[in-house]
Amino acid sequence: MSRLRVENVSLSFGGLQVLSDVSMEAGPGEIVGIIGPNGAGKTTLLNAICGIHAPDRGRIVLDGTPVGGLKPSAIAALGLRRTFQTSQLFRGMTVLENMMAGMHLGTHSGLFAAAFRTSAMRREEARTIEQAHAALRYVGMEQFANHPGSALSFGQQRIIEIARTLIDEPRIILLDEPAVGLSPPRVDELTELLRRIRIEKGVTLIMIEHVIRLVMDVCDRVVVLSSGGVIASGLPDDVRRNREVIEAYLGSEFDAGRAQSQRLV
Amino acid sequence: MSRLLGCRSLLGALFICLLFLPFGANPYWLFVGNLILIYIVLALGLNILIGFAGHLAFANAAMFGIGAYAVGLLQVRLSFPYWLALPSGGLIAMLLGTTMAFPALRLSGIYLAMATLGFAQFTQWVFLNWETVTYGAGGFRVPAVDFSPLALPPKIGIYYLSWLIAVSLVAFAWNAMSSRIGRAFVAMRDGEIAAESLGVTLLHYKALAFAMSGVYAGIAGGLFAGLLDYVAPETFDLFQMITHKAMVMVGGIGSITGSVIGATLLVLLLEALRAFKSTQEIAFGTILLVFVVFCPGGLVSICRRYLPHWQEPLHVAQHAAILPDTDSGDVSDSPPPPARAEL
Repeated sequence: MSRLRVENVSLSFGGLQVLSDVSMEAGPGEIVGIIGPNGAGKTTLLNAICGIHAPDRGRIVLDGTPVGGLKPSAIAALGLRRTFQTSQLFRGMTVLENMMAGMHLGTHSGLFAAAFRTSAMRREEARTIEQAHAALRYVGMEQFANHPGSALSFGQQRIIEIARTLIDEPRIILLDEPAVGLSPPRVDELTELLRRIRIEKGVTLIMIEHVIRLVMDVCDRVVVLSSGGVIASGLPDDVRRNREVIEAYLGSEFDAGRAQSQRLV
Repeated sequence: MSRLLGCRSLLGALFICLLFLPFGANPYWLFVGNLILIYIVLALGLNILIGFAGHLAFANAAMFGIGAYAVGLLQVRLSFPYWLALPSGGLIAMLLGTTMAFPALRLSGIYLAMATLGFAQFTQWVFLNWETVTYGAGGFRVPAVDFSPLALPPKIGIYYLSWLIAVSLVAFAWNAMSSRIGRAFVAMRDGEIAAESLGVTLLHYKALAFAMSGVYAGIAGGLFAGLLDYVAPETFDLFQMITHKAMVMVGGIGSITGSVIGATLLVLLLEALRAFKSTQEIAFGTILLVFVVFCPGGLVSICRRYLPHWQEPLHVAQHAAILPDTDSGDVSDSPPPPARAEL
């Protein structure tokens, strides 16, 4: 059974049709890349999956549960996490506290347990701190645990955000352009990290990415969106050779060769 | 030595001083000490809502008034004893405060400020004009709280009751904010969408923030009614609200110790300027402006800079130095400006 199934989803904002009849699926432990030109509806698709927008038509099914119309927090409770295009670390918290905030759903102490620091609550806090450190160690960022998140560089913040999605044993992680603004050596590190996450955590990753090298290196399958519709999907190498995809990206056949050498390699 | 200069020891020292104040103080200083205790509760309640949960609400003075009126009227109209009226007043303020979470689900920033300000003005209008219940513009007298079973004179009794409540509510806020609830509040403040995508249910935590803030203000109102034996509508006006805001800003927004420091210092300042009523407002406006412009983190941000052991939950340096660039491989070597999730 697939872990995520998007069936014929359509979504419009006012008169603007942003997604039309989009279908895709992702199995357990798979990495699926979503690519496409700017304005193709990639982020909107992610927002629809995580509950920020409810689809007008179609179904989104997570592990057999239809999630269309549920709130983001309810979908998060089903084991879905995401990162955003811009850093969404909480600025008033240290890196460690940010990680602990990521354990919100994995912990259950209420107001009174917290106020009286019951032994169950203190055990839970200790476990949360331990897990937060473990997740930071996993991505090699433990030395920054007590720094304010906002004091880190952009690339470090992105990695910590990925660590925050990992802390609570999620089933699906949506990544919105994880490599944006990273230099080539950092992209290599990210590639390595994503592979490791897939192998060791068994989590499904769905990733929007413009850095084609990263997509080709780590994705099992690629879905190409253009103008709100899926124009191709399949193995990275097949998609890369697909004529329609090349046209969507590069316009016409005329300068395909030149642009391919610049953008796609 | 410097280990002792943390915020817990400062809070401890302040509350111990306040504990022994009645032994050396004349009635006036006892009254000032009691005001400090009440304003600590008020500033703390407001800071939970504004500083931690990030809701720019302007109804704290109204909640304070609702608490005072509820506790007073329950005693006068329904002959409740004070010990029953006080928690009931807190409960009523909590319930009314919680209803404000519903507009806060849709409104934020200046719009929420306007909506809550409207609520505050409406409350003021009810105090003034619903004369059959509230006694109108003249206010009403409340019987002195009876502490005779404890063999305490009323003023000493209300002082120690305030002390006990202030200490408990500071501890309550400290523990709650250092738990997953505090983290959910701050997450909501720093990025609603990111918080929600980590599973923070906005309705629940907004309601909780407004409820906590309402209880704090309501209980403070009940203590205030017990302290003055008198409740009048003009006490709970806009200046009252600005006073609470100034306490939060001067002490430190999003800091529990800050609320305590701000409340203490500003009550003392208010009293020092009491002889010159109009200068109070000028002084408060100036202080608020100076802190907003030159010291937005409040006094605690200065303490934190110079005292290494000054550690509070969920309160990292607002203007933290950028780390040495260990990550020169990045395209951008400084953090990007704060940005909301792109939708």
